Amino acid sequence: MSQTLGKKLHPEWLLRVFGIAFFAYLFFGFMLLPCLNTLTSIFNTTNAAGERDPFAVIRFFMAGTMGKYVWNSLKLAVLLVITVNVVGISIVLLTEYFDIKGAKILRLGYMTTMIYSGVALVTGYMFLYASDGILTTALKNAFPAFNPNWFSGFNAVLFTMTFACTSNHMLFLRNAIRGIDYNTVEAARNMGANPFKVLWKVVLPTLIPTLFSLTVMTFITGLCAMSAPTLLGYDSINPEIVRLAGSSTADEAFPQARAALLSIILAMFTIVLLTVLSAYERKGHYLSVSKTKARLQKQKINNPVANVLAHIYAYVLFIIYMTPVVMIIIFSFQTYSAIRMKKLDLSHWTLINFFGQEDYQYLTSRGKYKTRVGSVSGVFSNEATLGGIKLSFILSALAAALACVIVVVAVNYMFKKKNKGSGVVLEYALLFPWLLPTILICYSYRTYFNSNAVWYVGNTNLYYAQNVRFLIVMAYTVTKLPFSLRMIKASFYTIDEELEDAARNLGSSPIRTFLRVKLPIILPSVLAVFALNFNALFTEYDMSATFASTYGTSYAMVIQAMCAEEGLYGYNINASGRRCASTVFIMLVSGLILYLVYGVGARDLGDRLEIRDRRRKRVEALRAKFSKGKAERADA
Amino acid sequence: MIKLNNIVVKFGDFTALHDINVHVKEGEFFTFLGPSGCGKTTTLRTITGFIEPVSGSVVVKDRDITHVPIEKRNIGIVFQSYALFPTMTVYDNIAFGLKIQKLKKDEIDKKVRDIAKKVDLSDEQLQKAVSQLSGGQQQRVAIARALVTGPAIICMDEPLSNLDAKLRVQLRNELKKMQKDFGITTIYVTHDQEEALTLSDRIAVFNKGYIEQIGTPNEVYNFSKTEFVCNFIGDINRLSDEVVKQANAAGAKLDPAKHNYVRLERLHVNVEPRPGQVALDGVVTVREYYGLYIKYYIDLGSQTIKVIEKNDGVRIYEEGQAVQVILDPADVMAYEPTQEGEVAK
Repeated sequence: MSQTLGKKLHPEWLLRVFGIAFFAYLFFGFMLLPCLNTLTSIFNTTNAAGERDPFAVIRFFMAGTMGKYVWNSLKLAVLLVITVNVVGISIVLLTEYFDIKGAKILRLGYMTTMIYSGVALVTGYMFLYASDGILTTALKNAFPAFNPNWFSGFNAVLFTMTFACTSNHMLFLRNAIRGIDYNTVEAARNMGANPFKVLWKVVLPTLIPTLFSLTVMTFITGLCAMSAPTLLGYDSINPEIVRLAGSSTADEAFPQARAALLSIILAMFTIVLLTVLSAYERKGHYLSVSKTKARLQKQKINNPVANVLAHIYAYVLFIIYMTPVVMIIIFSFQTYSAIRMKKLDLSHWTLINFFGQEDYQYLTSRGKYKTRVGSVSGVFSNEATLGGIKLSFILSALAAALACVIVVVAVNYMFKKKNKGSGVVLEYALLFPWLLPTILICYSYRTYFNSNAVWYVGNTNLYYAQNVRFLIVMAYTVTKLPFSLRMIKASFYTIDEELEDAARNLGSSPIRTFLRVKLPIILPSVLAVFALNFNALFTEYDMSATFASTYGTSYAMVIQAMCAEEGLYGYNINASGRRCASTVFIMLVSGLILYLVYGVGARDLGDRLEIRDRRRKRVEALRAKFSKGKAERADA
Repeated sequence: MIKLNNIVVKFGDFTALHDINVHVKEGEFFTFLGPSGCGKTTTLRTITGFIEPVSGSVVVKDRDITHVPIEKRNIGIVFQSYALFPTMTVYDNIAFGLKIQKLKKDEIDKKVRDIAKKVDLSDEQLQKAVSQLSGGQQQRVAIARALVTGPAIICMDEPLSNLDAKLRVQLRNELKKMQKDFGITTIYVTHDQEEALTLSDRIAVFNKGYIEQIGTPNEVYNFSKTEFVCNFIGDINRLSDEVVKQANAAGAKLDPAKHNYVRLERLHVNVEPRPGQVALDGVVTVREYYGLYIKYYIDLGSQTIKVIEKNDGVRIYEEGQAVQVILDPADVMAYEPTQEGEVAK
């Protein structure tokens, strides 16, 4: 009896019990219950007479204008699938398959969306194309009849998102095309097929599985679009959910239930699409059966007209990709007046948009000049911007780390219990948020935890005041769990099972084995996941917008605020300058993170030791050279 | 030294080991040989403690270690993949077990350098990452790591299987030399019969969870106890009933009720038969030239048999050439017929 009790009170047993309790708390408390609450809130409606009317919102949906948002989202998603695939396939073929001059430069241009996306990209496009944007201003000056509001609504959203969503093509389709065995292309050519026939009959069919996955992901992105429709003014589901979430019954009919209904509709679409995707993925991809795979060689376009047209097309796309980036970088070093006038002033370059703080004089209504201190300020000297950066930095870092820790612990357990039900249950629990649109989770949090009645969080209103930050961290963490799980689980597969046996044989305890042997192996992947999570969350807009509150103003929300018209009063002075500088800052942060993840992080111990060795030799050589020079001088 | 007494291991309903009994002597190089899934690795893992038998006992130096935890068995292991920790240097890999034993830093350093010297690893190599070493060097690190804690036994689970053929032969010799130098009792698992024959003092041949024969390499090769062993070890001809009839007609006195086997090198082509030997007429259908020897496929009418002849550069037979195959009935190993897949217990 006492032996059984002793065995039960063993630290590892206690740890397991704590783990199970924690994961159950996380799943039920922060995934299932809030979302179920949203689902049930659809039917918690009352009619004008104050009587319970469970289907009121459904009737409202059928009769009213709510369908417009669903239709608009669907329209955007469908068209986005077409445009993103056309542009995405084009840029991959132009840089990887066809022999286009300057492909390396083109590739860099097409990849810029990897270091600036979301709200930063949208504001970047607005900086160029909005009614007061550089290009629009220039066009208006040249052609006074030109409509300055041309870049708004559906077309603007489609245009912006088309170029924003090709990052996945540059990552996955590029890898797929690079994996093609060139011998198959040569075989087709040998049998008389021309390059375009080879492309159509041999290359593209092998890319279909990747393209299908990309299509589904693009469709979901279009359906759940948030920052572009909000900033560019398009009535789609997500912005409407956020608007309704902030509304009250005093303003309109059951806004909460309508928001819940829209988010459930979104969730249903997502679940159907992901199920289709999973079913398709289960069929498997085309695998090259070649034992000696030849590297793909670029195909020359023999027809001169087609070749010229392809080059023109490639460089037009390059210009579209690069212009906002270049303009934003240039203007981030321009003065306040140059930015305001949207006119380059090559004689004045400044860092004011980053670090500066300058007095700004304006005429008051009393007819006197008054000096206002700190009116023009840069990203790192503007209190509101800096506050947003700090908040986003802390919350994103916390959530990214938390997601990684949770997933590492869970995957370690799953691998130990490979064929046991508990491991499978845990995995599905962590993948659960993947089925739900981000907005549903955030909206559910906002409504469910905006109350003192949730016992398992100590009857604390988590949407109240500073508590919202905890809610944001939880939402960030939960939404990042599926991605982290997929990545970290893959890295666990690289651990040779014999390593654990070897460590045990040498006397290592399970915890020591985990910390000293397994963790160091997966650490680069964990850090990469942390960095990618952080990168995505740092400028994350959709969730921030849902949780919008004084205490939860994230960096993305600050950037959004900068898009508002420049005002004479308040913090929005020099908003355009800060917006440019912010985008440059985000590009730097993202670029640095990608370098750390794919550059430094990809090195194993051998590479690191080799680099250290080379560095040591270089220093020794320099030292020898220096002391030789010194000796020669002394001799002289 | 090591005694496995009536070991039975089960995985659910499947019995992986049936009543295994082995006695390994001190300082012996003992090999578990058999095809994939025959139970050799399971037996090794039972000795090392990764698997607990449902019955039977593991005794090392008269101490029953059946239920002793892995880390307290004092058995070193060299894994099939070497299982070197990729995030540690060679030095740290070797020192890992010593650090767990909480030895002093100086002592660890001395032990690591001593063992490294013995397995021929330089100081410079000690500071490298394991990924910077060749396959042979990695094997030495794995052996050094397994030996540095001073185990009583070392177990090796197919340590050469991941290497190319040339390196495998080279390391096989090094392994044997190291084992002799250290004088440590070694249990070696392999499916490669050539490896087993060249390395071992004794071999246990496994089949479907049973041991079919334990013996020296010569015993298992030349005096295979069971049909499975004789088939598994080396290349062999099973004489068809027709050939047995032919041979008996020539005075061989083979038992036609049994399965008769003869090894390739025991047959000869176009030599004068000695008393008791019989000659069978045939035609060379295929000739495979290996340099050191030549393998002939000879059609005896009812069966094509294989014969190996030393390449003396003179007696080389052409395809289509009529030849005589000389068989000595004393070289024939005969077994009672068994059912397909049946195990001789």
